[in-house]
Amino acid sequence: MSLRCLLSDELSNVAMHVRKLVGTKHPLLNTARGFVYDSRNNLQMRGLVVLLLSKAAGPSSQAAPDLQAQDMVSGIYPSQRNLAEIAELIHTAFLVHRGVVNLKEWANNGQLKDMQFGNKMAVLSGDFLLANACTGLAQLNNTKVVELISSAIGDLVRGVYYENSPNLEDSNPGDIFDMDVWEEQTFLSHGALLAKSCQAAMELAKHEPKSQRLAYKYGKHISLGHKLHADLQPFVTSSAGEPVVFSLNSGPVVLHRQIVGQDKWQQQLEEAKTFTDQLDYSKLWAAIKSERGVSSAVDLCSYHGNKALEAIQAFPPSEARSALENIAGAVTKF
Amino acid sequence: MAVPWRYCWRWSIINCTKTRLSNYAAFSTLSSRGPGPIAGGAQQKVRGSRGVPSRNGWNAFTTRHKPRQPLPQLCYCKRIHSDTKLKDPFSLAQKDLTHLYDDIKKELFVSGTELRSLCDYYFDGKGKAFRPMIVVLMARALNIHSNSKGDLLPGQRSVAMISEMIHTASLVHDDVIDGSDQRRGKSTINDMWGERKAILAGDFILSAASMALARIGNTTVVSVLSQVIEDLVRGEFMQMGSKENENERFKHYLDKTFKKTASLIANSCRAVSILVNSDPEVHEIAFQYGKNVGIAFQLVDDVLDFTACAAHLGKPSAADLKLGLATGPVLFACQQFPELHSMIMRRFSSKGDVEHAWQYVLKSDGVQQTSYLARRYCDEAVRQVSRLRPSPEREALIRLTEMVLTRDK
Repeated sequence: MSLRCLLSDELSNVAMHVRKLVGTKHPLLNTARGFVYDSRNNLQMRGLVVLLLSKAAGPSSQAAPDLQAQDMVSGIYPSQRNLAEIAELIHTAFLVHRGVVNLKEWANNGQLKDMQFGNKMAVLSGDFLLANACTGLAQLNNTKVVELISSAIGDLVRGVYYENSPNLEDSNPGDIFDMDVWEEQTFLSHGALLAKSCQAAMELAKHEPKSQRLAYKYGKHISLGHKLHADLQPFVTSSAGEPVVFSLNSGPVVLHRQIVGQDKWQQQLEEAKTFTDQLDYSKLWAAIKSERGVSSAVDLCSYHGNKALEAIQAFPPSEARSALENIAGAVTKF
Repeated sequence: MAVPWRYCWRWSIINCTKTRLSNYAAFSTLSSRGPGPIAGGAQQKVRGSRGVPSRNGWNAFTTRHKPRQPLPQLCYCKRIHSDTKLKDPFSLAQKDLTHLYDDIKKELFVSGTELRSLCDYYFDGKGKAFRPMIVVLMARALNIHSNSKGDLLPGQRSVAMISEMIHTASLVHDDVIDGSDQRRGKSTINDMWGERKAILAGDFILSAASMALARIGNTTVVSVLSQVIEDLVRGEFMQMGSKENENERFKHYLDKTFKKTASLIANSCRAVSILVNSDPEVHEIAFQYGKNVGIAFQLVDDVLDFTACAAHLGKPSAADLKLGLATGPVLFACQQFPELHSMIMRRFSSKGDVEHAWQYVLKSDGVQQTSYLARRYCDEAVRQVSRLRPSPEREALIRLTEMVLTRDK
């Protein structure tokens, strides 16, 4: 996230108030902790990829008054740097807004006051980050980019709504949840912002539409590969008997479900239920491991990694391109 | 906010000693760039024709700004009052607003999901569409001022729509922040679907507004309306803090009011002006009209929080006090009843504070003072818009200020 933003009065105000939340269960606390301690959540992957792609694509082939080669710093235009920052701002704003809790679920808990306060902070700080993103976007002086990135904000919301829909948890027999739907939803919640930011970085340097499409493709496939990679972790790193938890909406599970069919999946779900109607994840894990779902997910992950690699081959070889290749390689390594 | 406070303060000491109120009212005039000859000429006429009762402090103040000699533009005004029939601002803007909500729903199109019903919830066509109405009237008035053709440009129509979308998105977020469960006489989104979805729906409306804004294709307009979003957030932050010093507190309140309410109207007016005219002075007229009407609108809102009955307003009364907010009437009352000071500082959080503060406000002339201040802002709005070439829409904008002052819900 942008340091400029962290230094503002508003966020230090929030930081002061968030301290009051210490000791409560409001999710904002975890999100805030993530910015400080958790290097895994703090990768700023979107910003990084935008910068690397900007650099790999190089200076604009078109002459434009606001695209002077001497303005480039280490091969990146100032507007592209701002865009990288904006992508991170939006991503962070969403982490914060997703952490808003529904107060009715806490009404009888004795923690209602904390949750109300936490919500207020989460809404305000998320709005603040979004507002900064909006003014930052406006300053890029490119309405096409404004439209593209604004649409990514809408995509994120739609993605979160899909995630929330009780789709798989209930497993209605008539459910049409399959890999196509998975990909669509995952793209909205995990890929659209990066893909569209990559495209916008090309647009800012007035690269031709073909480069824009390739950058978009790289962003899209790297995101999908990355998500599959993360979804696969419980299935490739832990061994039988270890306690595992995984989402029933995760890639490998959806693939498994598609492979074994709806009836068998229902049966496996029933078998994995304990007396208290809780899911025994170890049991379900074993059932999923015994089929091809996991290996199909690994294949799919490699497919997306390769697609991402393919997309950037059109850019001239450079250090930046190698770095992007390494990112694509890391996503497919288990 | 471009108000030179130090400057105002100096003025107020020199000129405005009649009432305490004038200390605060003086700045609205000063904040405009020095009234040009057009302004002065038109102003004289409008004041005369509308028969605004003379008030000592105010008159003394405005006469200082009268131009040395009357200017040709004056003749506009004579014509307008003789042969143009005054029309209700609502009906005049109606034809441009009939498809407003349909257009908004098109912008928010998402196929068959829950998100869609949340988004459509407030765009049910029952809102006042106050902001789009001002924007449309201002756009038409400006078009006539600029090229004698009144027709709306597509971009101007978009700005009207976007103003309502930004407004609604901010309402959705405000209701979560304030924990409200009633809005416009129905349950709030957060009450119906939960806070989490409400916030995300607000973000979605904002993103759709931002896309529509980008499609207008004018980077200046994008900047102007992005400023609104920043102002809205900063205003919300300002609302969290309170000031110890009384004068600072009033400045803080008016500053917050500009950011939270007036900025959207002012900048939307500026945006429609940018789309048709290249003269910065015209942009400033549009902006100043919107700003002054916007602040007046909110001042009246703050008064209604004390005077209107709950059912009429569509939300519970004394809501601001309950939220710990000291609005105009309380700040004025505090000058008569210093006991209020400590309550304001603790944001009416002790038991009985809300009731006591309520009583003090009704005992004081806080409500009248705030209404009077609102009137002054409207006077300034009228003065500004009168600098435009006459048109039925300009007259409607003038009449609209009267409606802002007399509305009861």
